Amino acid sequence: MSGLTGAPATGDAARPKIEVVGLAKRYADVDAAQPAVLERIDLTVAENEFVSLVGRSGCGKTTLLNIIAGLIAPSAGEVRVDGKAVTGPGGGKGMVFQQQALFPWLTALQNVEFGARTRALSPAARRREAEQLIDLVGLAGYAERYPAALSGGMQQRVAIARALALDPQILLMDEPFGALDEITRIDMQHELLRVWSSRRKTVVFVTHSISEALMLSDRVAVMRAHPGVIAAEFRIDLPRPRQRTHAEIVALHDRIWRHLN
Amino acid sequence: MTTLATLLRHPQVQGLSFLAALVLGWEVAADVGVLRPYQFPAPSRVVEAVWEIATSGFPEGVKLTTHGLVTLGRILQGFLLAITLAIPLGLLIGWFPVLDRMTLPVITFARSVATLSLLPLAIVWFGTGELSKVLLIAYGCFWVMLGNVVAGVKYVDPVLIRAARTMDASGLVLFRRVVLPAALPRILTGARVSLGVGFMVIVGAEMIGTIRGLGALIMEARTFYRADISLAGIAALGLLGFGFAIGLGALERKLLPWHRGLEDVRR
Amino acid sequence: MSASVRWRDAALGGIGTLAVLALWEAAARWGGASPLVFPPPSTAVVGALERVPGDVLVGHVTISLQRIVLGFVAGATLGVVLAVAGGWYRILGNLMRPIVELLRPIPPLAWIPMAIVWFGLGESSKVFVIFLAAFFPVFTNAWKGVTGIDPVLLRAGQTMDLTGPALLFKVALPAAMPDIATGLRIGWGLSFGVLVAAELIAADSGMGYMIMNARQLADVGTIILGILMIGAANLVTDWAIGAVIRRRLGTWHPV
Ligand SMILES: Nc1ncnc2c1ncn2[C@@H]1O[C@H](COP(=O)(O)OP(=O)(O)O)[C@@H](O)[C@H]1O
Ligand SMILES: [Mg+2]
Repeated sequence: MSGLTGAPATGDAARPKIEVVGLAKRYADVDAAQPAVLERIDLTVAENEFVSLVGRSGCGKTTLLNIIAGLIAPSAGEVRVDGKAVTGPGGGKGMVFQQQALFPWLTALQNVEFGARTRALSPAARRREAEQLIDLVGLAGYAERYPAALSGGMQQRVAIARALALDPQILLMDEPFGALDEITRIDMQHELLRVWSSRRKTVVFVTHSISEALMLSDRVAVMRAHPGVIAAEFRIDLPRPRQRTHAEIVALHDRIWRHLN
Repeated sequence: MTTLATLLRHPQVQGLSFLAALVLGWEVAADVGVLRPYQFPAPSRVVEAVWEIATSGFPEGVKLTTHGLVTLGRILQGFLLAITLAIPLGLLIGWFPVLDRMTLPVITFARSVATLSLLPLAIVWFGTGELSKVLLIAYGCFWVMLGNVVAGVKYVDPVLIRAARTMDASGLVLFRRVVLPAALPRILTGARVSLGVGFMVIVGAEMIGTIRGLGALIMEARTFYRADISLAGIAALGLLGFGFAIGLGALERKLLPWHRGLEDVRR
Repeated sequence: MSASVRWRDAALGGIGTLAVLALWEAAARWGGASPLVFPPPSTAVVGALERVPGDVLVGHVTISLQRIVLGFVAGATLGVVLAVAGGWYRILGNLMRPIVELLRPIPPLAWIPMAIVWFGLGESSKVFVIFLAAFFPVFTNAWKGVTGIDPVLLRAGQTMDLTGPALLFKVALPAAMPDIATGLRIGWGLSFGVLVAAELIAADSGMGYMIMNARQLADVGTIILGILMIGAANLVTDWAIGAVIRRRLGTWHPV
């Protein structure tokens, strides 16, 4: 592993980008008799890998993602990015939140531009980049709308564009398509794959949909609750785009389902 | 040592000790003469003043309880008069859109009229006695209350009304069982805000033609250069206002047990 | 809202207003009270306008507005600054809280005697009372805005490399704006509410002085004119402030 640390960023897919080591989380204000929200989480995500976390709601997926993002501190263990311990948010980790988290006082376009704020771009280039991202998520024509005037699904797409505008090496997505209708959802999955393969990002993707995880990921980590642990991991070595009806997908779906119950 | 450190981490402890330090600093500064006593009488002097008003009264014979009760009485009379008129009228206006549109400009303007600007008119019309003060308070309370009652009825969620209609509620039943309860939170808000208005107006109203009441007390003390008495009266007014806020909060929780859940969701 | 509906509403409002004026007129003419004490609206205002010269009137309005603006700007500025600082930096907030909670229930007018003792009988004491009237509602609402902000917005800001003051100014402050705006409007209204009492402090100018002086001359017409002027000034300025707020915030926030 040490031989790889000097390798160029486009390098070996096996190089670990994110390492979650012995992570545990217990919210301070909660009864100590309750099981911890997260316990002994170990997870390694390779550079440019697409990993999904699936699990029932309440099993700690959001908590884990927030810790990886550096938004909240773990009770034990640590998260490393490129071998360095994460101590706070920022620094090339983009995040799409489960709830609506657009700035309501900015238009869709301004929200996306805000994401590109710290990049070394001229204002004109930044605007162009934002416009492209708005197009990418299929919202051309809605750029000047304020979030309040967009549907829940549209808001979520702006949020994705905003996270992409950071041009982050790591993209953390918390049930980003949960609020979308089935049709838009499948479109968005394709878009995400396209962005992921063209812009090369390491993605940690939280979902409660097993089939969504199977369509998108290189690897699926299955979480279980009370305490939150990673119960199993599954590698999916199939080319994309994948067929829902592919025999291996169907078989994996079945196995993950059994792990969740 | 460590216990002190943990104690100091409590927000309330921090705040209250800061407050205590300020009061102590004020006391010391006043005692050594840094603060002039006629401008900033020492807290200990203010406490003595409270005692003086409570026992021998200021002006002589008019005790703190009298001042407090007189003020309270005026506010309550004006407030009750106002809501007795405003609730039925507001329900009527809120329920009939035509009435609402006809009264909108008048209500809007009457609400913008500063209640205390009516003080000279009230004196000319009703003299400097109790009636003027009560009517001024009533005026201030009335428009705030009216505006809220109207809005409460007007903005009842139409879905509730439609739902009730499907259950064959109409006319008075609909009004009493659905519209009124749905409007109640807003009506109570109106009551709270208008009581606050009454509380603000009373001090101005008591500046004229009386030596009884907390407002009169603090103004009267000034003419005798008794800043300590003024401050004692101000503290009493603050306490009264605080009491009102607590009391109304409790009343609201009692009358609207179902409304709290909504508040919890918001947070 | 269609144009015809708007016309109908305006017409209904006009009818209502005229009805009130007609009622007043009738009561004054045929109610038996002396027109000196209870003049009908037609003569009250007209008579007063004849007695009080126009430039004097304008002078009173100007000085009153000046006091209100001074007091309001001072109170609102301090209110926003303290509330935002205290709401954002926990230690400051902890220190501030008990003091503010202690002072808040005191009606601003109660400070008049102390204002005189502290600032004398000049302009400052009047401005101080208005300052107090503006400060508390602005402080309370701004505080609510800053402390009530949805944490996910702050987190979103943090994932986009905002920290410290940048997070405060780029996320927390805009998010608190609707509450701050509410506080500003309430504070402006209360500033007008205390004006007359503030101008009872040894004033020789201002709309409050004008009507209290007219009382001594038993000039009911001028009193009524003054009341209407204060009301109109409040209404117009509040409307203007509301329009500015709607322009700035109405695009993204339902006002
Ligand atoms: N701020 C918090 N304080 C206390 N408990 C929390 C907090 N956030 C989440 N929890 C608890 O932690 C558990 C996991 O929550 P979360 O990570 O949101 O799960 P998921 O995203 O998988 O639905 C839940 O039981 C939830 O109640
Ligand atoms: Mg979640």
